[in-house]
Amino acid sequence: MRNSRIFILSILSLLASVTLGAQNLTDLLIGEVLVENTCGMEDDFGQRNGWIEIFNTSSGTVKFGGCYLSDDKSDLKKYHIPTSDLAAKLGPRQSIVFHASGNASQGTFYTNFKLHRGSTVYLVSNDGRTVIDQVEIPADLPADCSVVRIPTGIKGMDFVTEINQKPTPGSYNGDVDAKTKSQIMKETDPHGWVLTLIAVMVVFTALIILAFIFGWIGNFNKRQASPKEAKVKKTRKGKKEGQTGEMTPEIAAAISMALSQEFGGEVYAAIALALDDYLGGGVHDAESFVITINPTPGSTWADKAQNFRQLPR
Amino acid sequence: MSTIIENLRQFWYFTGFANATWQNFAMIFIGIVFITIAIKKGWEPLLLVPIGFGMIIGNIPMFPGLNIGVYEDGSVLNTLYQGVKQGWYPPLIFLGIGAMTDFSALISQPRLLLIGAAAQTGIFGAYLLALLLGFDPNQAGAIGIIGGADGPTAIFLSSKLAPDLMGAIAVSAYSYMALVPVIQRPIMLALTTKKERLIRMPVPRVVSQKEKIIFPVVGFLLTAFIVPSGLPLLGMLFFGNLLKESGVTRRLAETARGPLIDVVTTLIGLTVGASTQADKFLTGNSLKIFLLGLLSFVIATTVGVLFVKFWNLFLKGDRKINPLIGNAGVSAVPDSARVSEIVGREFDPNNHLLMHAMGPNVAGVIGSAVAAGILLGFLG
Repeated sequence: MRNSRIFILSILSLLASVTLGAQNLTDLLIGEVLVENTCGMEDDFGQRNGWIEIFNTSSGTVKFGGCYLSDDKSDLKKYHIPTSDLAAKLGPRQSIVFHASGNASQGTFYTNFKLHRGSTVYLVSNDGRTVIDQVEIPADLPADCSVVRIPTGIKGMDFVTEINQKPTPGSYNGDVDAKTKSQIMKETDPHGWVLTLIAVMVVFTALIILAFIFGWIGNFNKRQASPKEAKVKKTRKGKKEGQTGEMTPEIAAAISMALSQEFGGEVYAAIALALDDYLGGGVHDAESFVITINPTPGSTWADKAQNFRQLPR
Repeated sequence: MSTIIENLRQFWYFTGFANATWQNFAMIFIGIVFITIAIKKGWEPLLLVPIGFGMIIGNIPMFPGLNIGVYEDGSVLNTLYQGVKQGWYPPLIFLGIGAMTDFSALISQPRLLLIGAAAQTGIFGAYLLALLLGFDPNQAGAIGIIGGADGPTAIFLSSKLAPDLMGAIAVSAYSYMALVPVIQRPIMLALTTKKERLIRMPVPRVVSQKEKIIFPVVGFLLTAFIVPSGLPLLGMLFFGNLLKESGVTRRLAETARGPLIDVVTTLIGLTVGASTQADKFLTGNSLKIFLLGLLSFVIATTVGVLFVKFWNLFLKGDRKINPLIGNAGVSAVPDSARVSEIVGREFDPNNHLLMHAMGPNVAGVIGSAVAAGILLGFLG
């Protein structure tokens, strides 16, 4: 058994090396779009084109190979992002820029269409039908100004659309000084001791309070119970009953009586369990705490279950 | 003729054979191994069969755009995967756990709650070590929760804090939970003397139905007010327990602990399995996660046992606690409590520790849910 577990461990350790590769494509959004680029970012060929920035809003990696970009609602499959390019993925809260050069042969991140004012840019899922996100480009968008989606909150990832006079292709559109809670913790508590101390204290405090409350409720209940039951009986040998941890017949009977008071019909199950323990059985079911003998309260004369037979007599 | 050939060629490009890589076959092989072990050895079949088959499903090579993959929006698998991604499967499992857990052992000896609290240091020990290894705080928190020895909690927290690491964290948590007997026994023996292992604890008192009904209500109010971010897990756990103990919602309780938890367990296993992708095999981070997961279990067990030993210094006579139940503070219900029973009976066949160990065991479930809430509050 132990060998098989060690074998499993090694298999699981291999499996543990597998991480989730991606989150949903719906976590992507068009972060920024610029149509007329006269003095801004140059592409790898030294040319200035319009561009489309895609942003990953999730905290997981998203693969977007196979998706489409388009500026034509009647042709959503205008530019197919190659699935074979391993670079076609975005890490958490990362962005990437597609150059709208009109020449897709320049590379994965070059679209086969150019951008125009007054049009709409679509990011389409890999089924070629589902529009993940779209941005309308104003007809009067000035040169070197972009349409930008600015996050309004770190956690919720809500966005507002604005015209930006200082485009930021490939970089975070929001307040660069805004930080996630994790980043704040990294700065304020780099080694984690503060969080650890607070967390341990909170866990202990919560459970100590719970222990006190139920200690008090238990004592109250014991006082309410019959004084005879509260007293510890002496056995013939002079041992104190209930201190040995053994399931004696008296204890089994007491438990069954108590269960009878609490559950009524389940007394038979309790007695059966007590007898089973007393006779050394110990295991009553594959699962603990599941009593498998169901009571049938009251008379069974009208019980439907009694009216069905497996074979007609 | 050329049209037929062209169509056949196109069909070929859509088949799994044309799109297969060796990594796909490696993952499919591991999936088959999981299923084989589950069936042949009967080892964690409820978990290994869905995960194993999910791994096969998730690694069938396919042409993108067919809208059938787990990460393709709107596909059937993707819809089912939302329960993992959005984190609503784990609370449903907690509902079932609550409906099947008997808190009597804990209510009769509430002081044992503290052992469950002490064992949660495994979570924070792993958190500190993960930071030391260069993980970001949110990732470290998600890794640390492996020490909570609770699969649904691990999936819930990692889906919120570090979705990229969720696969490795989930598999690591489940595997170490299954390996609890192998990990805990040597630590328990190393840290206890023979005299301590023979300590007998008094039989727990009988708990009234009234107390059992009060427990989920008071327990929920208290823990949720202290850590509201743990609401989904704690709320469902205590709600499930109230269904069980109220005595008037028997059908709901039976559904929660029966068909409902079975359905959700099937779906969570299948989709977690399907979400493991072959193209990121053997990354350094994942191996670190597996190591940290092991350390978190070791720390939790060690602290649990040592905490009882320390506590015993202040207890007298029959108030003393057998330190062999210290390990049960790391939830892993009920495996770690069974380890206490088995190890205890090795030294005294008549000393039954199971009922005593169930106290810290279920306290560990509450403690790890509280700890997850704290981590989510600070880092989410």
